[in-house]
Amino acid sequence: MDLTPWLKSLEDSGLATTIRNSAYLFPSLEAAHVIGLGLMLGTITVVDLRLLGLASRARSAERVSSEVLVWTWAAFAVAALTGVAMFTTNARVYAHNAAFLVKLCLLAAAGINMLTFHLTAARTMDRWDHRAAPPIGKAAAALSLALWVAVVFAGRVIGFTTTGVQAREQAPPPAAANFDDFLTGGASDAPPAAPAPAK
Amino acid sequence: MHSFATWLYATAPSVFIRSHGAWMIPTLQSVHIIGIATAVGSAFMLVMRVTGWLGADQTLLQTQRRYGPWLTGALWVLLATGALLVLAEPPREFDTVSFWLKMALVALVATLALAFQRSVRRHDRRWEGALLARPEVKLAALATLLIWAAIIFLGRFIAYDTVWGHVFPGAKA
Repeated sequence: MDLTPWLKSLEDSGLATTIRNSAYLFPSLEAAHVIGLGLMLGTITVVDLRLLGLASRARSAERVSSEVLVWTWAAFAVAALTGVAMFTTNARVYAHNAAFLVKLCLLAAAGINMLTFHLTAARTMDRWDHRAAPPIGKAAAALSLALWVAVVFAGRVIGFTTTGVQAREQAPPPAAANFDDFLTGGASDAPPAAPAPAK
Repeated sequence: MHSFATWLYATAPSVFIRSHGAWMIPTLQSVHIIGIATAVGSAFMLVMRVTGWLGADQTLLQTQRRYGPWLTGALWVLLATGALLVLAEPPREFDTVSFWLKMALVALVATLALAFQRSVRRHDRRWEGALLARPEVKLAALATLLIWAAIIFLGRFIAYDTVWGHVFPGAKA
């Protein structure tokens, strides 16, 4: 399945065009993304440390997680919406960016990890409400912290590997094997624009 | 300030970070973002205890003991990674409006955080009860979260400082 036409239509959408034509909107979306992910990661850490028994041990695990998770989801919504808006501005480039794809896989893994926790350790929470979580709960908490930290790293690399890069407007020339290209490392596959310096 | 930035740019540690910049700068920035998450998360939990919306089963002192050290620790991590990022590319920061506005707000929020933690540690539950009964204290606590949001915005705008040219026509891009 070729997603290119759909990605191109995202780039041509009114939202993407408005963001691209503004000096403020893209950096503002980035800043709102950092606020969303900061609040999300901060509140997730509160819950994960409680599950691991490393902090808030005296408090009910049920209370710590239920009262904070509302804010976690609200913050996730901010990060996700700003993320999608940024994606539309250069969809074809992001969709082929290794760091972006790694980040998507890490996000999926974090989701599966959360689901596993809810189907296992969370079901017996009343039994360990005033203790650390059982081993499977601790494993999920440790994995959650590791995955979200990795998400932050992958996310920051996206900026360094996509800034200033533009999608090719036309399909590459017919792939009649040009022997010169093999010798020079495939000149026709070179990106059209060099990545801009670090942002 | 510009000549200081130029001098710092040429010093050995600055050159060293830049020569490994391809991985060192994104790594420092990522640790900086994790520091932001820790600081904002801790500040959020403390503010929400002041408003009474979260953690009302704990006293303010208990909440301070739980999150205060994380907030202070995160501020040190932010200072260290931030200082290394400035050292790597001094003109990128010193020549921008956003950087200096950010530093002013960071000084303000750090002073407020330390002063708040100090008074909570020094007082008893009666003082806590009287403090938390005052609505203006809750508003002030929520306002500190706005300062954090402004700091994050200004931090990101360091990389896009030309936007200030629209606000202050005299500002250097």
